[in-house]
Amino acid sequence: MTLHGALSIILNIKQGMKPQLIKKLQEVDNDVNFNSIVPFKKISTIHFARFVVADSDPNPHGAPILDRLVFTTNYDLPEENHINELVKYAGPGLWDIFSMCDGFLTGSYDSKRLADFLHTNSKKSATFYVGVGNRSVTQITQEHKLRNAVQDYLDEHCSELTTKDAATIRKSIVNHVNGMQEFAWARTPEPPASSAYKMTRGLKIAGVLLLLVILSPIIIPFVLIWWLIMLLIEISEKDVPCKLDKAHVRALVEREKAIVQTQFSAVGNVKPGWFRYRTMMFLLTLTDFLAPYLYTKGKLSGIPTVHFARWLIVNEGRQMIFLSNFDGNSEGYLRDFIHIAAKQLTLMFTHTIGYPKTRLMLLGGAKDAKGFMEWAREKQVITNVWYSAYPDVSVKNVFHNSQIRDGFYGDMTEEQARKWLQLL
Amino acid sequence: MEQIELKDLQGLIVRGYAELQSAAFMVLKVTDAPVFKKWLQQHINEVTPGNVKPTDTAMNIAFTFAGLRALGLNKDSLDSFPLEFEDGMTTRQKQALLGDFGNSDPANWQWGQKGNDDTHVLLALYAANMPMLESLCATVKQQLVGHCAAEVKMLDTSNLVKRKEHFGFHDGIAQPTIDGLSRKDSPENTVAAGEFILGYKNEYGQYDYSPVVPGAADKNNVLPASDQVSGMKDLGKNGTYLVFRQLEQDVHSFWNYMDKKTKNEDGSCNPEQMVKLASKMVGRWPSGAPLALSPDKDSETMADMDKFGYRQGDGDGLKCPFASHVRRTNPRDSIDTDKKTSIKIANKHRIVRRGRSYGSPVEESMDPMDIIKSDNKEGTRGLHFICFNTNLTLQFEFIQNFWVNNPKFGGLYDERDPVMGNHSHPLDSRQSGTFSVENHPIRKRHTDVPEFVTVKGGAYFFLPGIRALTFLASI
Repeated sequence: MTLHGALSIILNIKQGMKPQLIKKLQEVDNDVNFNSIVPFKKISTIHFARFVVADSDPNPHGAPILDRLVFTTNYDLPEENHINELVKYAGPGLWDIFSMCDGFLTGSYDSKRLADFLHTNSKKSATFYVGVGNRSVTQITQEHKLRNAVQDYLDEHCSELTTKDAATIRKSIVNHVNGMQEFAWARTPEPPASSAYKMTRGLKIAGVLLLLVILSPIIIPFVLIWWLIMLLIEISEKDVPCKLDKAHVRALVEREKAIVQTQFSAVGNVKPGWFRYRTMMFLLTLTDFLAPYLYTKGKLSGIPTVHFARWLIVNEGRQMIFLSNFDGNSEGYLRDFIHIAAKQLTLMFTHTIGYPKTRLMLLGGAKDAKGFMEWAREKQVITNVWYSAYPDVSVKNVFHNSQIRDGFYGDMTEEQARKWLQLL
Repeated sequence: MEQIELKDLQGLIVRGYAELQSAAFMVLKVTDAPVFKKWLQQHINEVTPGNVKPTDTAMNIAFTFAGLRALGLNKDSLDSFPLEFEDGMTTRQKQALLGDFGNSDPANWQWGQKGNDDTHVLLALYAANMPMLESLCATVKQQLVGHCAAEVKMLDTSNLVKRKEHFGFHDGIAQPTIDGLSRKDSPENTVAAGEFILGYKNEYGQYDYSPVVPGAADKNNVLPASDQVSGMKDLGKNGTYLVFRQLEQDVHSFWNYMDKKTKNEDGSCNPEQMVKLASKMVGRWPSGAPLALSPDKDSETMADMDKFGYRQGDGDGLKCPFASHVRRTNPRDSIDTDKKTSIKIANKHRIVRRGRSYGSPVEESMDPMDIIKSDNKEGTRGLHFICFNTNLTLQFEFIQNFWVNNPKFGGLYDERDPVMGNHSHPLDSRQSGTFSVENHPIRKRHTDVPEFVTVKGGAYFFLPGIRALTFLASI
């Protein structure tokens, strides 16, 4: 079992360095796997990674926000492992890139100081969503290969196998795979989560629920009043229309060239006010806490395509950065927001300026499909570098592959074997 | 509900002119805009509107973005058209999205090819018989070509028996019923008018973007006021976007592949199994009967059957494979969410199809058994695919990208639409098509599926309402 971390390094870009930085990032993106600056493919702990140059904004809540560089990875814990790998394979490259930013280390390259910097300066996500379960990069890629090998075996022996019963077919598949050195790892099942982990996880949610029940006489009226105040705020808020220009959208969609997965990066200004800020932080934190319990089957609120997503609140709460990695294209992805998860996502996004009008943070919002699409495209920014460790594996494939592998162990009745064979 | 202004629609939206068996599509370049517009003014009454059911001839007319520019439409109005219409179907990103690479690369198209600005006007001409069509074409040609327009491409059509396409399958069965237009249908198949006609509410209960012109530009005051942008006139009202794709079909490659994969042990041909495999790929039998309802054999009584789903009777794809053509292009109730939501989502990605076949059939009978045996290798043939939608990104392009050419469709791994998918994606590690037929105890996976369909030309057109056409003739 593997848990995941979200590294987020956000730095202001030094005055005048932006063009040079963008050029450097383009070099990385041109050969994202094996470039000499940050050769992502060598870093075995990364699922997804990206660099985004977020533009300055002159006046959110009266103070300017400067141009920033956002570097993020979705990685296999423990963090120390990941940072060591990053420094080992990309240390000098990252040093060069970060040196174009303020607030980074000075002096000549020092791997130890870089590792410390990454550890101490990672911005904690307000919400972090993992759609691939408790799986490591290695497990995901290995199980995908395993599934392909089983398919090849079936192709080769299809006519002779078809005449046999399901249990026999299953046995011959298992024997075949067990005979291959390449799949020696598959001879034993993936170790389940430790009982200590399960216990902590269970206790945490039980504790929170218990507390909620005990405090419900206080909490319920409190929430209702809070909600009403929010409604008053919503009514008083002015509509801010989104201004979309074709060149912006063209530049965004032109970068979508992968066939299976793509990414989405968006930066939006948070609506002003203490009350708004507190509400947003509460909802994001709540989602962050509940997501591992609610969204365990690879579905983010019903959306079956998201590998990883994170919400970051930056610049003293004035901006929200949203980053996600998913299957398909951005049009289909945003439509899923509207069709499947409008309410849940509205709860999280309604706090940004330009989001379609909502009531009680639930009604309206993404139900206004046109307004939502305009908002999403206007806030979307170019992802300068994007890396995926398994670009040809969808979220559905990840779960399906594990189901296939899980069928390798123990005995099965004919009926069970029949069911398992339908996975192939 | 809003009343649909039938007489302001061009007729092709309302009907496919099935009684007018002969048709031709003339692709033109405008060489002299003032003269062309004058012709349009003089002949606007000959453009068939939606409230007339023609019995002898029909004519409809549509323009590409370049065509509208050639007519002299002002920049602000041009800018009000959506990005996807402006950029067309041949940009690098669209190539990847639509699956137009390899043999279907727009660089090699016969018309509408990449970087070519010649495709301006589409004249869709229909007549009850061939002599009438020939005379209609000759008249129009005489009036236009050489005076104010150049012929880019003349696209003939052929009339195949029993509403079949060239592979031998009944085509064009699943069509959405446009709400408020004519006949009544089940709620599952009744789709808001705004999905197909600009100026009406769509499935989201909203009005989609409609191109506008400044009020002052509409000198003769023919256009309705825009309800989206104040002070502007609505150029889009009662118009739609017409997608035209010339899809060449390799009938011999199609049936040879079925033969190769279903031969008897002694190496002889097994026509019954060939038809079965081909039907598994299509998702319907040659008669049109859906596999989801009639999994084992063709059934003439179900030939036009379109009321069915997958969720209840075929959740595991044992009847109609997950990867099959009809299951992908209209997933109905099988999208990974609840049944009601699935139908709602599927209906936000519908198109109205009005295509016609071209080229002579391999065998006049269009019976697969005859086609299989045929050694007629003469000529080329295919489908002039035509469809309507008000949002190209969300409808035609979405179907083509997210369903037809998506190797991960519905939980699959590396299978595109077996009939019309492009199996050689440049970024794909697997350079040939695969197609799995779900079965007990194990599936049968077919590999090396060639491309049976190649794109030979195409463009996005704007099919204006009659008033908008009058306006365009006057600019």
